[in-house]
Amino acid sequence: MNEAINGVALSVVIIWPLLLAIPALHSRLPWPRHLAIIPAAVLLMLPGDPSLELPWLLFGTGFGLDSETRWVLAMSLAVWFTAATITAKSLRLNSAHHQTTTLFLLTLCGNLGAVLASDLVGFFTFATLMGYGFYGLLIQDSNESARRAGRHYLIFLIVADLLLFEALLLAAYTSEDLHFEALDGIMANASSSQSYLWIVFIGFALKAGVWPAHRWLMAASRSASSSSALLLGGVPIAMALFGAVRWLPLGEDAFGISAMIILGVGAMAVIYSMLIIFMRTSFNMWPAWASVAITGLFIATLGVALSYPDVWRQYEYFVYPLIASVGIFMAVLFFNFSRIQRTHHSPAVALPRASILSLWTEQWFDLIQRWVNRRLTGLQSIWRVSQLKMIKQNQRMLNWQKSVTFCFGWGVRITLFVLLGLALAWLAG
Amino acid sequence: MNWNMWFPLLLIATSLLPGLIIFSLAEERVRLRTLLNLSGALVKLALVGWMLWGVYQGHHYETRLPLLPGLDLVLRAGPLSLLFVTLSAVLWLVTTVYAIGYLEGSPNRSRFFGFFSLCVTATIGVALAGNLLTFLLFYELLTLATYPLVVHRGTEEARRAGHTYLVYTIFGGALLLLGTVWLYTLTGTLDFATQGGFLDDLDKAHHPALIIIFALLIAGFGVKAALVPLHGWLPQAMVAPAPVSALLHAVAVVKAGAFGIVRVVYDVFGVEFAAGLGVLGPLAWVAAFTIIYASLRALFQDDLKRRLAFSTVSQVSYITLGVAIAGPIATIGGVIHLVHQGLMKITLFFCAGNLAETLGIHKVSEMDGVGRRMPWTMAAFTIGAFGMIGAPPVAGFISKWYLGLGALEAGQEWVVIVLAGSSLLNAAYFLPILHRAWFRKPPEAWPHEHDFGRKETAWALLLPPVVTALLALGAGLLATAPFSPLEWGKLIAEREFYRP
Repeated sequence: MNEAINGVALSVVIIWPLLLAIPALHSRLPWPRHLAIIPAAVLLMLPGDPSLELPWLLFGTGFGLDSETRWVLAMSLAVWFTAATITAKSLRLNSAHHQTTTLFLLTLCGNLGAVLASDLVGFFTFATLMGYGFYGLLIQDSNESARRAGRHYLIFLIVADLLLFEALLLAAYTSEDLHFEALDGIMANASSSQSYLWIVFIGFALKAGVWPAHRWLMAASRSASSSSALLLGGVPIAMALFGAVRWLPLGEDAFGISAMIILGVGAMAVIYSMLIIFMRTSFNMWPAWASVAITGLFIATLGVALSYPDVWRQYEYFVYPLIASVGIFMAVLFFNFSRIQRTHHSPAVALPRASILSLWTEQWFDLIQRWVNRRLTGLQSIWRVSQLKMIKQNQRMLNWQKSVTFCFGWGVRITLFVLLGLALAWLAG
Repeated sequence: MNWNMWFPLLLIATSLLPGLIIFSLAEERVRLRTLLNLSGALVKLALVGWMLWGVYQGHHYETRLPLLPGLDLVLRAGPLSLLFVTLSAVLWLVTTVYAIGYLEGSPNRSRFFGFFSLCVTATIGVALAGNLLTFLLFYELLTLATYPLVVHRGTEEARRAGHTYLVYTIFGGALLLLGTVWLYTLTGTLDFATQGGFLDDLDKAHHPALIIIFALLIAGFGVKAALVPLHGWLPQAMVAPAPVSALLHAVAVVKAGAFGIVRVVYDVFGVEFAAGLGVLGPLAWVAAFTIIYASLRALFQDDLKRRLAFSTVSQVSYITLGVAIAGPIATIGGVIHLVHQGLMKITLFFCAGNLAETLGIHKVSEMDGVGRRMPWTMAAFTIGAFGMIGAPPVAGFISKWYLGLGALEAGQEWVVIVLAGSSLLNAAYFLPILHRAWFRKPPEAWPHEHDFGRKETAWALLLPPVVTALLALGAGLLATAPFSPLEWGKLIAEREFYRP
C-alpha cells in the first residue's frame, strides 16, 4: 500500500507541473505556479525513502527520495516557492505571461525530475528540460542585454549537454545498470574511468559556471530579472553541483593526478575570484564572483574527495546539506543584489559584443593582466617605446607592434598562471 | 490454402486500387476521393497491425509470382520490411489528412491524390521486396510516381526542380540496374537472404568485381538517400507542396534510398562479408561527411524548407552510418532512425507548410513571434527540432544513443565525435528558429495571412503535426515498450547478428 502511495506521489510531483504547463490549463487556475509545487511539498513530508521504478520509460528509469536528496528537494522547493510568489505580481502586467508561466513550470518540472531521478538517463533528461526552460526565463525580458546573456548561457549549456551525453555513452558502454548507486563502483574501476571523470567534471563545471568557464554566469547575473536571479543561484548552479556529486565516482578509488588538478582548479577559482572582488570588480558583479568562489570551493572539495576516497566516505552525508545551503545562499545573494540594482534604478549593464573566439577562449586572465599592467606600466611603456623607435611609422611594423603587445599580455598571463600554480603546490606541500 | 501469401499483395492493393480509381474521378468528387483515400489508408494500417503481430509470433508472409525465367516477383514481410511498411502506412494516413486540408480548393487534386497513392504503393513495394529485381521495379515506379508530385504546382521553378530530380534519379536507377545485372551474372540469384548475404560462397577472384558492384549499388541508392555529392536534387525539390515534401523527406523517396543501402549491406552482401571486403569503412566516411557537410549547409539557409531539406540530407545519413559501423547496436541505431527521422521530419515539414499556408511565412527571418500566433504548430515544431538535435526524451535521442554506443562497441570512437559535431550544428540551425518564434516580438502584419477565425489554422492542417510530434515524443519516452521502434530494431539486429 505504502509503495503504491509513494509511487503515485513521485509520479504526480513530475507530471503535475508538466500538465499545468499547458496554457489552456494554467490560465484557468488561480496561482498555478504555487499549485505546481504542492505535490513536491507533500512528498517531502512523506516518511521513509519512497522510490519508483519505471522500466518502460526511456531505457528504464527510476525516481526516489532519500534522506540525502531530501535536503536538495527542500532547497529547490523553497527557491521555487519564493520565485512563484515574486513573479505572481509582475506577470499580471506582462503580455506574454502564459508563455512565461509555461517556461516556469517546465523548468520546475525539470528541476524536480533531476532531483528525484535515480539514474543517469533520467537525470540527464530532466536536467536538459530544466536547462532549456531556464534559458527561456533568462531572456524573457527581451532586452539586448538579456538576449546576449541567454546566448552565452545557451552555448555553455549545449556544450555541457554534449559532454554529458558522451559521458552517458561511456557509462552505458561500461555498465548495463545506469543507476547512481550501481554505477559509482563500476566507473571507478573501468578502463575509461579517467575519460569519464574529466568529461563529467567539465560538463558540470560549464553548467555551474566554475572558473574558468564562468563567462555565462557574469552575463546572466548582470541581466537577470529578480525572479530569474533568484532561480539562477538555486537552480542551474546548485543542480550542476548536485549533478557532479551524483555522477562522479566518489568514494571508490583515488584518482591521483586528475584529482589534484581538479583540486587545483577549485583552489585557483577561489583565489582568483577573491582577488577580483577585492581589487576591481563593480558592486553589481559581487554575487557572480562570490558564486565563482563558492563553486571553486566546492570543486576543490570534490578534488579532495577524489584524492582521498576514505575522507569522502566519512563526510559524504554533509555534502547534500552543503549543496542545499549553497543553493539557498546564492539564490538569496543574486536576488538581493538584483533588487538593490533595480531599486537604485541602475540599468542593467550592457554587455560588450563578444566575438566567437573570445567566447570560446574566455577572458579570464584579462583582469589579472590589467592588474599586473597597472603595476608594470613603467616597464611596459619603456619596452613599447623601444619597440616604437625601431618600427617608426611603417604600417607593417605597427601590426608587428600589436602582435608583440598581444604576446606580452599572454606572457604575463601565463607567468601568473604558473606562479599561482607554484604557490598552490607549495601550499599543498 | 495459405492465406498468409496474400497479405503482402493486399498491402500493395490497399493503396494501388484507391489510387487508380481516384485518377478516374472528376475534380468535384471531393467526398468520394476523401473516402477512398482514408479508407485505403485505414485498411492498410489494420493489415500492417495484423502482420506485425504475425511476424512477432514467427509467421511468414511471402508472395511469389513468376516474372522472368529464373526471376520471380517476390514480396516478403520480415521484421526489417515491416518496420518500413509501418512507418509508411502510419505516415500515409497522417499525410493524407494533411494533404486534404492543404489542397482544399486547389486544382488537379485527383491527379495529385492518384499519384500520391501510387507513390505509397511503390514505397510499400520497396519495403516488401524479397529480391533485388522486385526492389528495382518498385524503386523505379517510385521515381515515376513522385515526379508529377514534385512538378504539381506547374511553375517554372517546379518544372526545373522536377527535371533535376528526374536526371538524378534516372542516373541513379541506371547505376542500380548495371550493378544488379552484373551481380546476377555472378551469382545467378537476386533473392535477399533472410540472414546475412548470399555472396559468402562466391570465389575470391570475384571480390574486386563485388567491390565495384557494391559501389554501383550504393551510388544508385545514394542518389535517393541524398548522400553527398548525389544530394543536389533534394534541396531543389522543396518547391513541391508541403505534403509532397513531407512524403519525399520522411516516408518515400529518401527513405527508399536509405532502405536500399540497408538491404544491400545486410541482405545482399551481409555485414560480415561486406566488412571483409573493406567497403563499409568508406561508406561510413561518406555518411559522416554527408552528416557534417549538409548540417553546415543548413546553417546558412534562410528559406525554411531549404534548411529542412539540408537537415534531411544530414539526418538520413545517420541510417547509412549505423549500417556501415557494422555491429548489432549500431544496426539498431540505424534502422530505428529510419522511423524516428521520419516522425520528426514530417512534423517539421507539416509545420513549415502550416506557416506558409496560414501566414505566408517561407523564411526563417519572417518567423519572429510566430509562436504566439500559432502556439500548437510551433510546439510541434519545437518537439521535432529538439528531436533532431538529439535532446531527450524525443526519439532522436534514442537513435543517437544507439549509434554512439554502437560506435564505441565497434571501436570506432570517431563516430561519436561526428555525432557530437552534428548535434552541435543541429542546435546551431534549429535553436535560432525557436528563439525567433518564441522570444521575438511578432510583426504588425504577417506576409500573407489567412483568416481561420479563433483557430490558429484549419484542423486538418493542425492535427497531423501535433499527432506526429506526439508520436516522436512517445517513441523516445516509451522506447522500451513492446512494439516500439527500438524493440523492433532489437528484433531486427537479433535476427541479423545472432544466428541460430
